[in-house]
Amino acid sequence: MQSTITLDQVSKRYRIGTGLTNFRNLFSIDRRNTNPNKYHWAVKDVSFSLLPGDAMGIIGPNGAGKTTLLKLLSQVTKPTDGSIRVNGRLSALIELGAGFHPDLSGRDNIYLNGTILGMRRADIKSRFDNIVDFAGIGEYLDTPVKRYSSGMYARLGFAIAAHVDPQILLVDEVLAVGDYAFQQRCYARMDELRSKGTSLILVSHNMEAIRRVCGRGLVMYRGEDIYTGTAAEAVVAYSDVLRDAARKKQMDVPVEEGISQRVMTFDAEIESVKLLNGHGDAVTVVESGECVSVGIAVRFKEMVRNPVFSLAVRTPDGRIVYDTTTRWMNIETPEFHPGSCCLVKFTLDMSLLAGEYELGVDIAASDFSHLYDSLESALGFSVVGANGAKGLANLNAHFSILNGSNGQ
Amino acid sequence: MIAYFQNVKSLYGYKDLLYTWAYRIVRARYQQSVLGGLWAIIVPITTTLIFSVIFTFFIPVNTGNTPYLVFSYTAMVPWTFFSSSITDMVDSLTGNMNLVSKIYFPREILPIASLIARLVDAFIAYIILAILMVYYKMPITIPGLLLLPFILLIQIALSLGIGFIGGALNVFYRDIRHVFVLGLQLWFYASPIIYPVTAVPENLRSLYYLNPMAGVLEAYRAILIYHTLPGPSIYYSAGVSILALVIGYWVFKRLEFQFADII
Repeated sequence: MQSTITLDQVSKRYRIGTGLTNFRNLFSIDRRNTNPNKYHWAVKDVSFSLLPGDAMGIIGPNGAGKTTLLKLLSQVTKPTDGSIRVNGRLSALIELGAGFHPDLSGRDNIYLNGTILGMRRADIKSRFDNIVDFAGIGEYLDTPVKRYSSGMYARLGFAIAAHVDPQILLVDEVLAVGDYAFQQRCYARMDELRSKGTSLILVSHNMEAIRRVCGRGLVMYRGEDIYTGTAAEAVVAYSDVLRDAARKKQMDVPVEEGISQRVMTFDAEIESVKLLNGHGDAVTVVESGECVSVGIAVRFKEMVRNPVFSLAVRTPDGRIVYDTTTRWMNIETPEFHPGSCCLVKFTLDMSLLAGEYELGVDIAASDFSHLYDSLESALGFSVVGANGAKGLANLNAHFSILNGSNGQ
Repeated sequence: MIAYFQNVKSLYGYKDLLYTWAYRIVRARYQQSVLGGLWAIIVPITTTLIFSVIFTFFIPVNTGNTPYLVFSYTAMVPWTFFSSSITDMVDSLTGNMNLVSKIYFPREILPIASLIARLVDAFIAYIILAILMVYYKMPITIPGLLLLPFILLIQIALSLGIGFIGGALNVFYRDIRHVFVLGLQLWFYASPIIYPVTAVPENLRSLYYLNPMAGVLEAYRAILIYHTLPGPSIYYSAGVSILALVIGYWVFKRLEFQFADII
């Protein structure tokens, strides 16, 4: 099968500062032989290729080059080095409301945005009702879009981008503003497009969305693709990268947006995570239904007040089986002083069916503004037993026949 | 060279966007204004009236049998189209940064649509010219009208050529905008709009006709007022205009891929 999009060692360099190019440089063919100190590689040596129906999630902290990569893919900007080959129509939803004109009505904007994405008016006309239905803006069709809510903007924007029959669909973070129901519809639409052969590239900080929608994942960090693999593996790799960066104090992302970026400050560090059976022995194999505990050894480097501990159990492909935090359990944790260590323990009934699972652990600030430490995949374990039932949860079914009425 | 024509071809694939974008500009321009499309007439008519008062009563200018009002309005309408479309084209990229830095489409759509949107204004303004000519009982000849589209095309080629260069350079240096506004102002006085070419000293006239707009504006007058064929200067204007268009488009495409990075 022919790939829809191929990147071969693509790099993009930006100039730092606002200096003006001199008039002669504007037209020069070779744009590379200038002072290297004033430049910044936003994307460096990224290669991948997608087949029809592939979906790839791109994750990484702010400033990792994700948006630049999307701009390169959508041909808004040209790579400094390397090549990008695109086969077929590419539709991109990079920013909310780019390609909308605030003074025009929803109706006019559908035509405007559709033609910007390369469609003909006749094609838009034939899809018009579908777009309006999907966006759910029927009664506001003749209202100027400047009066729309940001949710409506997002819905209309996605609806148009997803109805131009793209061979490649690029979606940036924009869906975050939509409500839950709409996001679900978007994911369903992405699945539908994929099944028709559209290649999808999704950039998001929402790890569940990445795992839900994408088969493949690419982790960007400081302009480089430091990991490619399945989406679930990429999410774990991403978590590890951030943890490493936190350890080396390399992250410079403002703490306020920390939780969505999954940035860690390392004021508290998870030293070890163990799965313990009833006798207190560390195990990796658990009987279905057995009562076990997860012991987390934590070292506090700074003063940490009322941290929130959380525990998640996932399948290897990243589906959440169980997720809880001390906050949801209504437990108020105490203060921890710099230099202190402690062992916290979650006790739980492993009411899971046989299979492989992963444990994720994190410690967040009491206001959920950022993480102190996080292990997306702290340890793997397997569950055995449960009498051959299929599924995830062990509901421990019993069977009985009461008062059989034999042929009356 | 081949790439040059491929650009033109791919532009054709986006003709619906061109139409929609021009429509957007016109719609948005008059959306929240009470007088709407009337502004397309008010601006040239007011300037013409002012000059009419000055050059009819204060410093009379000899325009032959033609009323000064018609004489200058005939050139004022195409000039207004020329200068306003160039100003809009210069701003067309920087004014749509959000779009240029986010979505790919052939960038020349933006300046071309700006020009088309001004063309709509020009047509409205021409209606007033027709009314004026009927009012002053001036004959309108059919063969002359047939030539009108060609003169218009020459003018459009010149505007596009200049506008492409101005729009592209303005992305890099915002001074360009001011240079163009000033330049157009000077150009206005260097063109036969508010005075006849006969007012230009004989020995300077060949120099005067180096201005391609001189030939164009004279051609409008020849067709609409004097019912003659345009003079030979129109061939020179046509040549310069086509050259300007070819070079302007080349410069634009040359710089296009840097727009998103700089803007």
